[in-house]
Amino acid sequence: MPGLTANLQLLTPEFALAGLALLVLAVDLVVPQNRKNLLGWLSIAGLLGLIALSLKMLWGENETLYGGLLAVDAFSLFFKIFFLGLGIFIILSSMDYVEKNLTSRGEFYGLILFSILGMNVMAQSRELLTAYISLELLSFCLYVLAAYARNEAKSNEAGLKYIIIGAFSSAVLLYGVSMVYSTLGVTQFASISAALANPGDVSPALWVGMALILVGLGFKLAAVPFHMWAPDVYEGAPFPVTAYLAIGSKAAAFALVLRLFAEGFLPAVDQWRIVVAVMAAITMLTGNLVALAQHNIKRLMAYSSVGQVGIILTGVAALSADSILPASGVMLYLVGYSLTNMLVFAGLISFFNMTGREDISAFRGLADGQPFLAATIAIGLFSLGGMPIFAGFTVKFYLFTALASQGLLWLAGLAIFSSLISLYYYLQVIRQMYIRPVEEVAEAIAGEDVYVPTGPEVSTSPLILIVQSVTLVGVFWVGVYPAPFLTVIDAASHAILPGL
Amino acid sequence: MEWAWLIPVFSFAAAPLIVVLGRVLPGSGSFLAILAIAAGFALFWWVFAGFLGAGAGTENCLVSAHTGTLTCHYQMAWFHAGLAGAAGSVALTWGIIVDPLTVAMLGLVTFVALMVQIYSLGYMRGDSRFGWYYAVHALFAAAMLTLVLADNFLLLYVAWELVGICSYLLIGFWHERPAAKEAAKKAFIVTRIGDVGMLIGILLIWREVGSFSMFDAFEAVSSGAMTEGVTTVAALLLFLGAMGKSAQFPFHVWLPDAMEGPTPVSALIHAATMVVAGVFLVARVYPIFSAYDGDALLVVAVIGLITALMASTIALVSVDLKRILAYSTISHLGLMMLSLGAFGYTAAIFHLLAHGFAKALLFLGAGSVMHGTDELDIRKMGGLRKVMPMTAFLFSLGALSLGGIPILSGFWSKDEILLAVNDHLNPAFIILALLTAFLSAMYMARAMFVTFFGNLRQEMEHAHESPASMIGPMALLGVLAAVFGFVGFNWPGSYQGIGSFLFFHEAEGFHFNWWLGILSMILAVGAFVLGYLIYIKDRVSLEGFRARIGGLIPVVENKYYFDEAYQWVVDRVVLVFANFIGLFDRIVINDLAVNGPANSVHRLGIAMRLHVTGHVYSYAMGMVLGTIALSIFWWFRSVS
Repeated sequence: MPGLTANLQLLTPEFALAGLALLVLAVDLVVPQNRKNLLGWLSIAGLLGLIALSLKMLWGENETLYGGLLAVDAFSLFFKIFFLGLGIFIILSSMDYVEKNLTSRGEFYGLILFSILGMNVMAQSRELLTAYISLELLSFCLYVLAAYARNEAKSNEAGLKYIIIGAFSSAVLLYGVSMVYSTLGVTQFASISAALANPGDVSPALWVGMALILVGLGFKLAAVPFHMWAPDVYEGAPFPVTAYLAIGSKAAAFALVLRLFAEGFLPAVDQWRIVVAVMAAITMLTGNLVALAQHNIKRLMAYSSVGQVGIILTGVAALSADSILPASGVMLYLVGYSLTNMLVFAGLISFFNMTGREDISAFRGLADGQPFLAATIAIGLFSLGGMPIFAGFTVKFYLFTALASQGLLWLAGLAIFSSLISLYYYLQVIRQMYIRPVEEVAEAIAGEDVYVPTGPEVSTSPLILIVQSVTLVGVFWVGVYPAPFLTVIDAASHAILPGL
Repeated sequence: MEWAWLIPVFSFAAAPLIVVLGRVLPGSGSFLAILAIAAGFALFWWVFAGFLGAGAGTENCLVSAHTGTLTCHYQMAWFHAGLAGAAGSVALTWGIIVDPLTVAMLGLVTFVALMVQIYSLGYMRGDSRFGWYYAVHALFAAAMLTLVLADNFLLLYVAWELVGICSYLLIGFWHERPAAKEAAKKAFIVTRIGDVGMLIGILLIWREVGSFSMFDAFEAVSSGAMTEGVTTVAALLLFLGAMGKSAQFPFHVWLPDAMEGPTPVSALIHAATMVVAGVFLVARVYPIFSAYDGDALLVVAVIGLITALMASTIALVSVDLKRILAYSTISHLGLMMLSLGAFGYTAAIFHLLAHGFAKALLFLGAGSVMHGTDELDIRKMGGLRKVMPMTAFLFSLGALSLGGIPILSGFWSKDEILLAVNDHLNPAFIILALLTAFLSAMYMARAMFVTFFGNLRQEMEHAHESPASMIGPMALLGVLAAVFGFVGFNWPGSYQGIGSFLFFHEAEGFHFNWWLGILSMILAVGAFVLGYLIYIKDRVSLEGFRARIGGLIPVVENKYYFDEAYQWVVDRVVLVFANFIGLFDRIVINDLAVNGPANSVHRLGIAMRLHVTGHVYSYAMGMVLGTIALSIFWWFRSVS
């Protein structure tokens, strides 16, 4: 087969990443137990090097490897940088947590690195089975990570639930893949697209196959009704892993969905648009409504991310052969969503490190003891709620514009409405942080102004401060001047929608 | 004029500077905010002069075909939605419009904000978050100034929401008080509900026009590219946003609660920022509202009238000085909307300005009373003019002006509104509008007489007059509240009245309808005399009247039960619904009761483990059902 080994050097970042992960695991054997943070720094250094390497090597490349299995183009480069950068943020914000709460710290970083490898390949794959294998690589790492707090029943349960439901959805996905293969005889996205040129001719079994694939991916995205695992797993998993699940695994799944639907299923857009649109609508309404009733911050964030996924899915529903707006809208949303969620989660992890609590009422009065921490969380939540000058507004606006351009005004209206609902529960958290605890008002009046998380011994660690500062700048940047991001994103959209 | 964009930039720059440097600067950096807005005010005069000197031939300026006024337009690139030049791509700009409406609003906002900030030096002295107050204040003013300058819907919407955030922060400024926090949240959420409609309206216009530029939208409307139905729907959706911000029925509930913020903030919100944004929006996109015979304007007029009438009755029975003023604001905003609905463009903006000065004065006066007495319940006041003479004089001036006593500015502007209503709408409107005018004079008389006149109460003898930094701004506002009305009519020479500057399509000279003018004069003066007789002389007793309408009084005193009704909907419908879906979502377990099943695992051991397995099983079941539903749905679609 021609091209099977040609240009193999374009995969250097992937090989290097796998090597880095193995290196971290190997070094783990010789690093003493109290110095495991070194592994975190090693991973970060490696990831930074990989970002530089990828940018230098792959900028402007547009190649297909292994006879059409993997794409090295602007789209994969965009997501590669995205995931590598995300890995740095996640590791930075986990290091304190890992040291405090987890045993076998070395493998933690190794697993994160392997999962990044899985995500990278997901964004690159141009063929159903390759996509499936990379998805499994990611999922296996996440199953282990979710159960990583071995001594906690909750974490074990989270891992168990995750793997059972995950295995189930994998089976569904694989069955979908086989049905697509049995009707079309191909698994490469480009061939699927060609075979769909006349959607009227194909057997309805194909639509069932596509539906099953959508179910499998819907599980990864936690789209309703395949989301039920999410709150339990989010709640049980170690805090940084929750952040990773909420951001990384969703972004990776969307990368795959974008490429699959844009490069593969796009000719049949009339068939699936309404299905995805309805799924998106149900997802955002359910997620945001149920979040109203949550009392645990992790569960709240779980349902909030379900709601956000619903909104991003609207962009997938709007994908079209005559405009890159929807694809760009989805990617811009992912950037804004990830930056914002990282900002919020960094604050939440820091709070958890200080207090060990994750019920929302524990945030009461946080603004008095930790004004910066409270302010960053509040900014993040405002951004998630879609308020202007923060990233959340700009990305929503861009996405809704894309929806309107495809005539999906009703869906945009529904999305705006569900953003309003989400703002309500985000404000509940903000309100808690800025209310002084009732029993302490009396003491404050008596001249004793006290609050629990205060003083140097519980301050935010410098590692998390780095994450907060960088993401804070990012949230404002995307919010006010998204043009540089859009340049890159539009190039990525053109890579998966070559006709434009 | 091309530098008009700097006016908000000054204040935008001041806000972060105060936050960062406030600790090391004298006065927590408050002077930065004041300097910024003062610079904005100075620049406003420069822009104003430049605008008066400009003509249709000036670069970037032309007489707009859509409004008939001289309009100057400046823009710079922001970002592209979609690749530049490609189909479906939209270039977004940071653009500003300078037209008479903008110039008038710039003047109002910079002046009132400047006055309020100077006043706050005295009022907020000693507050632990003095610097933060000024930072948000500066941001608030900057957002409002951006809003009035914006040339496209996106920038307008961004500024619009920023105004909302700042009001949230300022109303909840004393966040130690749960009531302030609740009020802030209420203001934010209620106005956001309107904004949902507004954003959809903007997207609808974008879909029809392919651009966010207001000029393009006006062009599409006048050329007929936007059909009658779409135009009306878009106008009404935009009006939803305006109703939220301008506290129009049924969104009015947030404004009285917003009193929980510091009083100068109320002055700013009620006079120059936030609530006038809604009226401004309708005026700004008036070509869309008035297109196709103005179907949408009838809705505007009806909502405005309902709001005005309802709020003025509530104001008549409130006992909290600031709440009376709040309902008075709602009522006057209703009048402005009514005027816009009656094609009274000039009158609405004229009243917006006149009301802005008078209402800022009244709120600063109420703040001064609060500063001097720590009391806002007017039943506990009386005779305060003996201890606070300047405050009493200036407050009375504001009250008389807003009550519509002749030659003060409120009289002229209200008269213009009545005239527009009389000329363009059904007679029922003018009768109800006159009733509103009478009621508004009545509650003003009540607030003024009960608070400042009569006998000084014992417990109020300790009250003191406020410092000069508070009285000074009030005095300046007082001058305008008294004489601003004179810009309304023709002066000898070339000045043709405000109608020759602020107009829609046709310049209007000043006109005066004698029977209407005299009737409204009689009503206003009569109301004040009646108020004097009731509240000071006790000559007229309200007992008989109260007995006759007895059943209605609790309804009005409880503000027609709007709050209760909304609360009921949130508690009984929304949250119950959310809980229901939540339960359904978890299928078996209510995790609110037991914090996650894992704790129960610990306690219940093996029995519970079975239960957990069942739990996962039910999730899988959910997935199966979902898969089947999805497949069937898809199959049917493809087969059909």
